[in-house]
Amino acid sequence: MKADPTGKLFSHRAPFLPSSRALTLGAAVALFIVLCALPAIYMFGLSFTGADGHPSLENYRRLFAESRQRDLLRTSALLGAGASMLATLIGAPLGLLLARADVRGKAWWRLALVIPLIAPPYTLALAWTWLAGSIELLAERAYSLTGAIVVLGVSFYPLAMLATEASAQRVDAGLEEAALLVAAPRRVFARITLPLIAPAVAAEALVIFALAISEFGVPGLLRVNVYTTEVFTAFAALYDFGAATALSAPLLMATFITALAARLVIGEQMLTTRRGSRIGLSLTLDRCQAPVIALLIVLVALCVILPVGVIAREAGGLKLIVSSLNDSRDAIINSFALAGAGATFVVALAALVGYGRARMRTRWRWLLDLAFITLFAVPGTVVGIGLIGLWNHADWRGEIYASRLIIVIAYLSRFAPAAALLLAASVRQIPVSFEEAAVVAGASWLRTFCRITLPQMFTGLCMAWVVAFIFAIGEIGATALVAPPGESTLPVRVYTLIANTPTSNLAALTLAQVTIVFLPLALFALFVRQREGAK
Amino acid sequence: MNEAFLRFVAVTKRYGSRAVVDRASLIVAEGEVVALLGPSGCGKTTTLRLIAGLEKLDEGEIWIGGECVATGGRNLVPPHKRGIGLVFQDLALWPHLTAEGNLDFALASTRMKRRERKERIAETLRMMRAEGFAERYPSQLSGGEQQRVAIARALIARPRLLLLDEPMSNLDASLRRQLLEEFRSLQSRLSVTTVYVTHDRAESEALTARIVQMEVGRICND
Repeated sequence: MKADPTGKLFSHRAPFLPSSRALTLGAAVALFIVLCALPAIYMFGLSFTGADGHPSLENYRRLFAESRQRDLLRTSALLGAGASMLATLIGAPLGLLLARADVRGKAWWRLALVIPLIAPPYTLALAWTWLAGSIELLAERAYSLTGAIVVLGVSFYPLAMLATEASAQRVDAGLEEAALLVAAPRRVFARITLPLIAPAVAAEALVIFALAISEFGVPGLLRVNVYTTEVFTAFAALYDFGAATALSAPLLMATFITALAARLVIGEQMLTTRRGSRIGLSLTLDRCQAPVIALLIVLVALCVILPVGVIAREAGGLKLIVSSLNDSRDAIINSFALAGAGATFVVALAALVGYGRARMRTRWRWLLDLAFITLFAVPGTVVGIGLIGLWNHADWRGEIYASRLIIVIAYLSRFAPAAALLLAASVRQIPVSFEEAAVVAGASWLRTFCRITLPQMFTGLCMAWVVAFIFAIGEIGATALVAPPGESTLPVRVYTLIANTPTSNLAALTLAQVTIVFLPLALFALFVRQREGAK
Repeated sequence: MNEAFLRFVAVTKRYGSRAVVDRASLIVAEGEVVALLGPSGCGKTTTLRLIAGLEKLDEGEIWIGGECVATGGRNLVPPHKRGIGLVFQDLALWPHLTAEGNLDFALASTRMKRRERKERIAETLRMMRAEGFAERYPSQLSGGEQQRVAIARALIARPRLLLLDEPMSNLDASLRRQLLEEFRSLQSRLSVTTVYVTHDRAESEALTARIVQMEVGRICND
């Protein structure tokens, strides 16, 4: 640096002052720890204290003394495993098909098949109860573990589909081409392609398992007793804070172990989204084109059209829908505003934390990935109680807790970790040399970050915003617990209306929820398509 | 000169409207070594991929050992039935298989018995002086060791035609010289017909007397 004759590269900063990079990233990491990690740490720590505030195992003694804990554990495990298996069975073959086969209208199929993921799971659960209620054969299963597995399997299969598609596209074409020189395509697929994408599929199955056991809306609606619903009941109905924190511990441990397993299985690939310029082994459908399209139609009909159709049927006429929407106008506006603000803050924080992760050089950086996945899988109810414990105090925190800001903080706690993981992958695609070139040209880190790095991350930032918005607008576990009086969001309003409102009102609100979530995604898809076209 | 083994006749390959290989013709005799020399982006790798059957040609014909393997925009013979060994520029060693596993998979279509395959693998690794790292995964091998395994994999099924796509480009100068020397002696022992793609004139001169120059999709100096 000293050799530069223009003096541009000389640092005028006093040696004891931290750089703008260290300051900005340090502040972001501190904020991330306070908002995202602290609620979970607080809950875990609190589970080891007694009613008098001293260290105690009393909560756990009470917990393990109850025989129904075994049932709870069994049901939670069955729900997670069942939903994960069903989602993978549907999603993984679809992902392979989209990545490798010459299916006609692939982009449209992808968009249609991803809809169950963007519709909040509780909307699918409601559709399931109305559908099962009207079919004699399914009536008994309307409120059951099987129903919850089916609903969560359908909700999460797009995750399996997208993860499998991404990993199949990531396989280096040369590896398959090398195999095609010595073996028939079928053998190459079985011995080379599948083993190469298997770790990603396994990791995705583990992540779905963690998401399913931390889901609150679906088991809550379908009256399936699992840990998340028990945490909610212990806190919101029985006001037993100790039991709620102790019940959170098995969930926190399960999510940590699952995240660790996913990290071990997939390694650094979690942060790699490299897309090969060509496909090594492509699947030509030829005469199978028609049966495959027929299969896709059946899937879209079962997983998308049927639930939306059932909700629309229950909603009745347009007049009823409009009147229901008018009644819940405040909740709808609240949902939009809070999810929009939440997604924006999530992306801002995650961009900095993700950048920090992507540029880390220590060999312990994988611990941060582990933390991101674990924190993302922490159930909403656990985050909600953690936030109450941390923010419901008679000082400045109380003012924040009494305002809508607490809902935005809940969204940050829940979704910033996943966004950070996504954006770290986006940063990793940008060569470090881009930033080095800017530094050599005399730009400060902040200027380099804003003018060079952020524009390169643009698509990733948009995608992270849309994902955060979709998750936030459907969030129910944490919001139901922390929302101040009179500041309800749409999912919370639906959840509270279930017991005492006609089905048509509920269905109208659910339909509004699905439409609200679908619109930004469709706009984003259109935007990406145009951007890609322009390139 | 032996009979023509590889005939690449007026072949054209287009990506969109751009012809990356433009009415290129090349004849290689049986047992001959040809270096295909040219700057980056001139169509050398595409030529190799067309011969291997990894790309479809738009016009022209490709004949290997007296059999027409591609013509009129169609590949008549799939890659694994052309009897070709190919060493990729990035070597493309399968990361989830050991060196031995990589070689074993390459024998997949030969229907050899397990014991025979084991013997063949041991023999080929010995020939490439790579017997010490049979059990290692590609990530546990150095650049030179990976190179040896990649060449062993290309040779193990006793291909009729060996194609090498700038295989030494990622190695340092001394290792490149050493491997080139070893490859020359190996080639003279095996007499396998070889097309060697490179952009380095010195490398091509060290390997063979027949250097074919390629420029913007055309073979311009044979």
